[in-house]
Amino acid sequence: MTGTIIETDQLTKMYGPHVALDDMSLKINSGATGLLGPNGAGKSTLIKTLLGLIQLTSGEGKVLGYDIRTQGDSIRQRIGYMPEYDCLTPGMDAVHQVKYCGELIGMNTNIAMQRSHTVLEYVGLRDQRYREISTFSTGMMQATKLACAIIHDPDLLICDEPTNGLDSKSRGFMLDTLFQVVKQGDRSILMSSHLMEDVERICDRIVMIHKGKLIAQGKIEDLKAIDREIEIWVWGGASKMEAALQNAGLSPRRTGRVMRVVRQDETTYDLVLELAAKTGVQIRRMEDYEPSLEDLFLVIMDRLGYGVKSSADLLQTQGQPRSVAPAPSRPGGGI
Amino acid sequence: MADEVPNSNDLFDDIFEDDRPAAPPLPTPQPINLEKQVPTDAEFLGEKGGVVTGRGRMEAAFGSGDGDETATAQVAQVANEVTGGTLFHQIYTPWRGELNSRWVRNWAILRYHVYGLFSKGHKPWPVMTKLIIFGVLIFSISDLAMLAIGAISGEEMIERISGISRGNMYGHVLSFWFRNACTYPIVTALIIGGMISEDRRNGTSALYFSRPINRRDYAAMKFLSVALILTVVVLVTLTAYYLGAILVGGEGWAYVMDTGLIFLGTFAAGVLLVFTYTSIGLALSSVSSGKFFPAVSFIGIILGTKLVAFLISALFNSSAIYLISPYDCLAHVGQWMLGLNHTYEHPASWSLVMLLVMNAVSLYVLSARVSSLEVTRE
Repeated sequence: MTGTIIETDQLTKMYGPHVALDDMSLKINSGATGLLGPNGAGKSTLIKTLLGLIQLTSGEGKVLGYDIRTQGDSIRQRIGYMPEYDCLTPGMDAVHQVKYCGELIGMNTNIAMQRSHTVLEYVGLRDQRYREISTFSTGMMQATKLACAIIHDPDLLICDEPTNGLDSKSRGFMLDTLFQVVKQGDRSILMSSHLMEDVERICDRIVMIHKGKLIAQGKIEDLKAIDREIEIWVWGGASKMEAALQNAGLSPRRTGRVMRVVRQDETTYDLVLELAAKTGVQIRRMEDYEPSLEDLFLVIMDRLGYGVKSSADLLQTQGQPRSVAPAPSRPGGGI
Repeated sequence: MADEVPNSNDLFDDIFEDDRPAAPPLPTPQPINLEKQVPTDAEFLGEKGGVVTGRGRMEAAFGSGDGDETATAQVAQVANEVTGGTLFHQIYTPWRGELNSRWVRNWAILRYHVYGLFSKGHKPWPVMTKLIIFGVLIFSISDLAMLAIGAISGEEMIERISGISRGNMYGHVLSFWFRNACTYPIVTALIIGGMISEDRRNGTSALYFSRPINRRDYAAMKFLSVALILTVVVLVTLTAYYLGAILVGGEGWAYVMDTGLIFLGTFAAGVLLVFTYTSIGLALSSVSSGKFFPAVSFIGIILGTKLVAFLISALFNSSAIYLISPYDCLAHVGQWMLGLNHTYEHPASWSLVMLLVMNAVSLYVLSARVSSLEVTRE
């Protein structure tokens, strides 16, 4: 399926006085999209809403062309959902567990068994498919959950923290597998994760929510352009150069001999070279800095008033975010 | 002095100043010619000029190479001759088949729970549960076995004792000792123990509700699964007993006309028993996240309320207290349906109303708790 797969208009969900989703208007195109946000931002509520499981307070939306208010069954029949936590029956073997998931979607028993073998091979569990799930490692359980989600070849795969608890090897394999689903299978993925690297590796778009509000959505590349920086490698007087850049109003960020300054316009390059010549400092390297998703997250959180040093400060903590400064009531920054 | 100490930033600057004498050029590597290193006067195995080669070592180990020209051998392929071969090639296989309707999905849930008692690949029931259910099933058809023994042996006494009567039919379903004291509540407790609570504990509820299964269907199929297993144990054995009595005794239509209503009354009482035990059991299973609590609580409710009612009624000389006991309410209604003498002083309608109340409360609890099962954990 191409085009827009998820579209919501002023989606609002309230639990009593608590606003879980606040006037959220989303438009997600086919492909891989990352869903980011701190704990309590409303990610789970959004996922349940997209699955058509909860009644909305107001607003409307469509997933794969089906109304989330009235056509929940049709949505869930065409979506594969991979939960974050354990959801497998410990006493069953993998092949029958996956088959049962196919039957719950509505597949015939024989076809479900056939597909179970196929998808278990795809997720790398071909030789382990008759093993009892209780003996599986975390990586194998995650792979089984993925197999359960893709047995019916869904148009949209919603993955909630797919690399949760995995070691680096298993994590790499899981991400590769998800990538294949998008690229080879031409399916769409909505991936919720607190690991920026994972999202960046799989997704070309992100949706970032905070306190039930949408704060950023779109292509990662486009969003990264909000703050371009120039990275400078200096030699022979880094402190002098830093002082000169500060005096010129460029607010450098320095780590040893490497500095980054905000690129204000084309003249910033000339200004940096001029300052280097004046201070007698060699510039060994100067280039546009390619920001990561982590940088993007920090910029957005900075604009929201959070003094976080890394995404882990907000995304990985349980309960209240460990923010230094209280967040303003309205998100700013014109994002 | 401090001025003479170089700045750490400038320590390496002299590397790039080119005022040092040039280092001598490195010698050009020459290819090693092994043939030149072999001494020409070497001798090996009596052969002048022979060198210690791999072939020479093989001949030393396995004898001469005579006859090798005609021999053939299966040898392993060397790696560079292998043209292909991949251990694992990940290929996404699309599937565009038809998906069945709601009733097929519901049937899958029912089959998963019931077939698990007989075959692998469905709900993994513990072996002890399977054995106890099988044992109770065998015990439940013991009255049919007695009938068969009476018919085979020709002993009228045995046939009369174990034959079809209001008392025997009541006894098959509603007798307290032994069936409702020891077997049926235990079977129910074993079945309902993990029916919903394990879904909560293992998170498997997410598998159901993230698929096109609504909570009403989920609860209904769980209910039907438990009820079906109890039906086999209680009602199928009752039917087998009744039909067996007709066949063993060679009875005709008149006998069926005489006893048919008794059978139907007993069957209806059995349905009430199965329904009540299932609804109370599943309500208990839905409020817990383990198997032990629902099972013990169920036995406690069935046997405990009867014991309490028995003790209090002995003190106050009133049977109304038995209304708190689900078993006694069932027994009272069953006596009324079968036309037996009542062993309770209060009207049977009170027991019927209490049964309805108990079932309504249980189903409400079940419904409310199933609604609280989560797809995502927060």
